[in-house]
Amino acid sequence: MLGRDGLAGLAVAAASLVLYWLTLGLQGNPLVPIGPGFYPRLVLGLTAALGLALAASDWLARRRAPRAPAAAGSAPNYLLVAAAFGVFFAYTLALPTLGFRVATFAFVAALNALLDPPRRARQWLRVVLLALGATVAAWLIFEHYLTVLLPRGRWTDF
Amino acid sequence: MFELLWQGLVGLMALKYLAPLALGTLIGVVGGALPGVTITMTIIIVLPFTFGLDPLQGLAAMTGVYVGGSAGGLVTATLLGIPGTPSSVATTFDGFPMARKGEPGRAMWLGVWASFCGGMLGGLFLIFATGPLATFALEFGPWEFFSLFILALSMVAGLVGDSLLKGLLSGALGLVVTVLGNDPILGAPRLTLGIEFLEGGIPFLPVLIGVFAFAQIMGDVERMGRARRAAQAVDRTLSLAVSHAKVLMEILRRPFLLLWTSFIGVVIGVLPAIGGSAANMMAYDQAKKLSRHPERFGTGTPEGIVASESANNANVGGSLVTIMAFGIPGDAVTAVMLGALTIHGIQSGPLFISQHPKIAYGIFAAYLLAHPIMVLVIALGARWMLRIVTVPKAALFPVVLVLCTVGAYALGNAMSTVYVLLIFGLGGYGMVKAGIPLAPFILGVILGDQIETNLVRAVMTDADPWLFVTRPISGMLLAASVASVALALWQHRRVRRRAPADAGEGADF
Repeated sequence: MLGRDGLAGLAVAAASLVLYWLTLGLQGNPLVPIGPGFYPRLVLGLTAALGLALAASDWLARRRAPRAPAAAGSAPNYLLVAAAFGVFFAYTLALPTLGFRVATFAFVAALNALLDPPRRARQWLRVVLLALGATVAAWLIFEHYLTVLLPRGRWTDF
Repeated sequence: MFELLWQGLVGLMALKYLAPLALGTLIGVVGGALPGVTITMTIIIVLPFTFGLDPLQGLAAMTGVYVGGSAGGLVTATLLGIPGTPSSVATTFDGFPMARKGEPGRAMWLGVWASFCGGMLGGLFLIFATGPLATFALEFGPWEFFSLFILALSMVAGLVGDSLLKGLLSGALGLVVTVLGNDPILGAPRLTLGIEFLEGGIPFLPVLIGVFAFAQIMGDVERMGRARRAAQAVDRTLSLAVSHAKVLMEILRRPFLLLWTSFIGVVIGVLPAIGGSAANMMAYDQAKKLSRHPERFGTGTPEGIVASESANNANVGGSLVTIMAFGIPGDAVTAVMLGALTIHGIQSGPLFISQHPKIAYGIFAAYLLAHPIMVLVIALGARWMLRIVTVPKAALFPVVLVLCTVGAYALGNAMSTVYVLLIFGLGGYGMVKAGIPLAPFILGVILGDQIETNLVRAVMTDADPWLFVTRPISGMLLAASVASVALALWQHRRVRRRAPADAGEGADF
């Protein structure tokens, strides 16, 4: 059986080999003695070898001494991490459609509420004020003072 | 040189430059004092604000963040026992016990003035060593540059993390990122996977921001909700009054300790991607070993605070030398600075000082001026900073992610860089969970194109591959990289033999 390291090593090796295979179709150039595929093949070959070495070392280590189960304690809250990534993903989708101002307000409020769920009206007000303050401050500083053109929404034109 | 430095100092005194420098230092000190917000994170937050500034204004702000952040961690380390940044971990060992013994002002100001002295010594090295090192690097051909970059990558891969194999794999993955897109010599498309955006290659700043910001934020998020730590009680009656002359004399009475630990900081700064977190621990360890009273360490001895803080600020000077003379980032913070230079069309490396003397000496001047500003900021705001540390992360993280997004978006005014941010954010978090260190990956992303360009140039000049070994400097650099991998292998084996049971999944930045 392979552990975390072994699986990561195999995944890296597989991806590297696929890319390596894609470099085989690259055409060389008579002006340059080594074509555009030479260096990628070198790097991808090395990466695949290192990935396989990691998988092999994990397999050998597990054969020598099977790992003890993790000690009980406070387990990482992966569900919250997944939800936070989900909220950020939604933000990247909302930016070009709703525009920076609407998307940022919704994102800051949603992530803040997710990480520290408000229960009372006052806490909800704090969430809204934070989202509003962050959005307005970012908009004013970047658009007006630093001349960074922030995304406008396709749907909202705002 | 002194004339240029003087001009740099006078130029920096103009409000146009002094304001971003002072603001950067303030933000750095606050970011450094906030536990869980590293200097890297702080500089990533500041990055988008520099896009609209001229290069020297932006770099002055970033230098301020770097200097301020390196010292800011000591405030919470000494007064609350919580290191604000990894580079102030060793400061807590003696700083907090001293504060608990009823001398919080002495503990904090020993750290502040040691940071100042160490930083200034690092500054001397920065000013006097950068020019000669850059001149030396001008002798380099593509063989030497190729070997130098390989040495940097192999050193980082060997020195960070708990597994040499993972360090090397991380560096190789960074190189893989740079082979996607057009090849840097002829611009021939390769490995674009049919994605139009990839034809221009993957810009490294969104990769860096994504990897570091998400790895750190999500690492904190996974601990939220389960074990809420009670907000640290802040004693508002805490007296930080102290005789500054007395504290300074206490530091200057230990010249050997100050010089030695600053030297350690500078050397670690010069080595790529090791950073202040290693510098303060190694300096503390050295101070303890060289002390006549090692048993006093950990009980509130001033030597411990002086060693840790002088080393982590001297480290900043060393890191800046590497980026300015060779174009190799000493750590993630200088990697962001390198990105800021690139955005303004400035190439860092051996020609940097001769081609951009105003900016180069402006950075020296900003570095020197940031230290007194840092002292002033802490003098005026230490008590206020203790209240800031109670800012909930649930409020901080969304704002930081918005700034990261703006930073990525503003690079090309396109959503594609924001998607790169997200993809590499996921990747960075995954790497941390797999125990793969991030520093070699980032260095691989930054140096990948340069490695390829120099390799191809070398082969185009002379197809004999033995030149990499037979040219003296190139051969020495390659030998050093083999030696560094061998040394790392030996060290990892020794550590594993000593602690066979240790198999933790430490996140290594």
